Amino acid sequence: MFYRRAGISHTRYQDERQIWPLPLDRFLVAAVFVLLLAAPFLVDRLYLVSYLVPWVIWSTAALGLNLLMGGAGQIHLGYGAVIAIGAYGSVHLVRAGVPFEIAMIAGGLLSAGIGIVFGAAALRVKGLYLAMATLAMQYIVDFVIIQFPAISGGTQATLQVPPVTFFGIPVTGDVAPYYVALFVCVVVTLFMLNVKRTSFGRALAAVREKDYAAAIIGVSTFRFKMLAFWVSSFIGGVVGSVLAVCYYRAISPDQFHLDLSIQLVAMVIVGGLGSVLGSFFGVALILFAPIVLNQVIGFLATELGLAISMDLRSHLPLVLYGILIIGFLLWEPLGLSKIYNNARNYFLVWPFRHARH
Amino acid sequence: MSVTRRTVLQGAALAALVSQVPVTRAFAQDKVIRFAMPQDFTRIYTFVTSEYSQGQRDYISLVNGRGGINGYTILADVSDHGNDMPRAIEAYERAKAEGAVLIDPLSTPVARALVPRVLEDKINLITAFSGRSDAADGSVFPYVLPLTPNYWTQAGLLIDFFRQQDGDLKGKTICFVHIDTPFGKEPLPILEKLAEKEGFKLQAFPYTPPGNDQSAIWPQVRRARPDWVMFWGAAVGQTVALTEAIRNGLPMDRVSSSVWISESDMEVVGKADTKGVLKVEPCASGRDPQIIQDILKEVVDAGKGAGPKEKVGTSYYNYGVMLAALMVEGVRMAFEKNPNGPINGEWMNAGLRSITNFDAGGFIPPTTVTPEDHQGGGKARIARWDGEKFVPATDWYSANQDVVWEEVRKYSAQFKATGK
Repeated sequence: MFYRRAGISHTRYQDERQIWPLPLDRFLVAAVFVLLLAAPFLVDRLYLVSYLVPWVIWSTAALGLNLLMGGAGQIHLGYGAVIAIGAYGSVHLVRAGVPFEIAMIAGGLLSAGIGIVFGAAALRVKGLYLAMATLAMQYIVDFVIIQFPAISGGTQATLQVPPVTFFGIPVTGDVAPYYVALFVCVVVTLFMLNVKRTSFGRALAAVREKDYAAAIIGVSTFRFKMLAFWVSSFIGGVVGSVLAVCYYRAISPDQFHLDLSIQLVAMVIVGGLGSVLGSFFGVALILFAPIVLNQVIGFLATELGLAISMDLRSHLPLVLYGILIIGFLLWEPLGLSKIYNNARNYFLVWPFRHARH
Repeated sequence: MSVTRRTVLQGAALAALVSQVPVTRAFAQDKVIRFAMPQDFTRIYTFVTSEYSQGQRDYISLVNGRGGINGYTILADVSDHGNDMPRAIEAYERAKAEGAVLIDPLSTPVARALVPRVLEDKINLITAFSGRSDAADGSVFPYVLPLTPNYWTQAGLLIDFFRQQDGDLKGKTICFVHIDTPFGKEPLPILEKLAEKEGFKLQAFPYTPPGNDQSAIWPQVRRARPDWVMFWGAAVGQTVALTEAIRNGLPMDRVSSSVWISESDMEVVGKADTKGVLKVEPCASGRDPQIIQDILKEVVDAGKGAGPKEKVGTSYYNYGVMLAALMVEGVRMAFEKNPNGPINGEWMNAGLRSITNFDAGGFIPPTTVTPEDHQGGGKARIARWDGEKFVPATDWYSANQDVVWEEVRKYSAQFKATGK
């Protein structure tokens, strides 16, 4: 009912091939986009700065990782390190006086260059072994950053991000960083939405399903695995520079440890492998569930006068969070995007349940 | 099935929304001064945080129980940030929205990440025993207040204590065993400078984080035949270091650490085996100080304690009391300076930066915070573990501050040049 399909007849191939053939989908996307654009004027500063900005940035990162994990079927446990390379590279460049726009791209290229070296391991090893190889990348990068004060920024190991401009707009205050992050996110999202429909995306899918079968039908697994690592690392590097400039404003090595990599993998899996929409859902859940649960428990404890100790109060949300993740994975292993799809499929034919396929 | 899923999703969305409601509602009450204390209860510091926070809350209960300051009560908003940056930043922004005058995250990574924000927003960031050491320079970091001796000062104090014991450090060997992170490497520049000045030989032994295996390091320390050993780590690394030091037969009365060693660590390693170990003590330990007695009588025995009674008087509990006392003294001074407010970060800052010779009844060294010196004078004492408790081996003193401040100024100048 809501998603009306009746009366839509495509008369051109382009119409048939568009990303969202149904009007309601297009309307929803447009509405969400407009809401995101208007967010600084609609929501309280607190939600803009500490929810929307990280959500947009982490979503971009999750999309980059999703290209590799969902698109090409290669696991990466060192994506945090990829982001770190981009962040450190671009912040050093910005500090040296390079414009932010160029530093951002350069950070991406640096990440891509280093990421591809480790990605080369993917040519020889698969599955768990690849996980180990990428995990090694995480540790090596961590180690290098910490051991070289020239990279990490001296004994204090913190690099301040100087004020920068993005196409002439100073990236300061609360609103400008959000728009910069949103801009990068939109570009990456558009890329991800379209990549599946290109020969590159199809080649990745072939590699993901079975790499030697892909080789038999003429897809160079060598080339496409490397390309997948390259593109995904490039996005990671760009995210790193956005993260440093728009969110952290001062970077230190502990912001990019293994925790970040695991968090991102969790976001991609919980959201739904290979799904663009899922990346956004997964990020929202993994990033905000602990915060929201903490507040719910804290609120209940203070308002209802529950005499629970601080230790219990801070560990209970973790327990609930764990239950939530396991629950989602048990109930819908294909991720949050599948839950959305189920709901959408339901409404496609509602109220005629029997017409469901 | 789909219907239930939808209901569940809607329910989840509703729950998420509802949880956001109290935020804007909470700060309607007046006559309240808000301290934000998002700390790490669940990830790395765990028991350290819970003891520290217990001390803070008990002291604040004591002050509030006595009628608060100028009729204002202090609200300690304690939450868990789990050392996770997005969570910590959320907690900080929330604190800011709620009108908190200060934030005490008790975490080096979080403090470092918040520095640019607090400098911009003018909210006081308390970085006791954590954060940037160069924040001691108040002229560059007006809103970052360590209020306690930083790691450089602590290392300087230990070296001076060794000098007092041996008369002269010329030709001596001092081994510095540290966790291989920015935090662990922090004292190195000071130690290198002092080695040059005092003429001792410094040998640094890094171990890989988190430090639960240090068996490869300590035999090397033994072979170096050190005159003194300093071990620098946190949490599990500390007990492992002590265990290894004992196993390698190092004389315990020549082994020392920073402020991050407590009765709990000694209990894990063995109270008798660790007899003689030295630590830097920023405030008195145990239950004897008057302030702790007052807390016991008016808060804990009145059933208003924030945690188990047996933790009262442990090292980290007392650190919490110490910091809360300094913060409350800051509030008192702020009222003295500007009795009519408005109560905000700037108001609190003026108070914190005019704390003069405050010693909480002998509980802490006389502390004077000025707009230039945020360290509070850099006084502490060295204490020795006697098998049951830490016994002070010196009086409150300060040493090697010239070297420390040279380093502080060097890094703060760097920050000033590149930061902002």
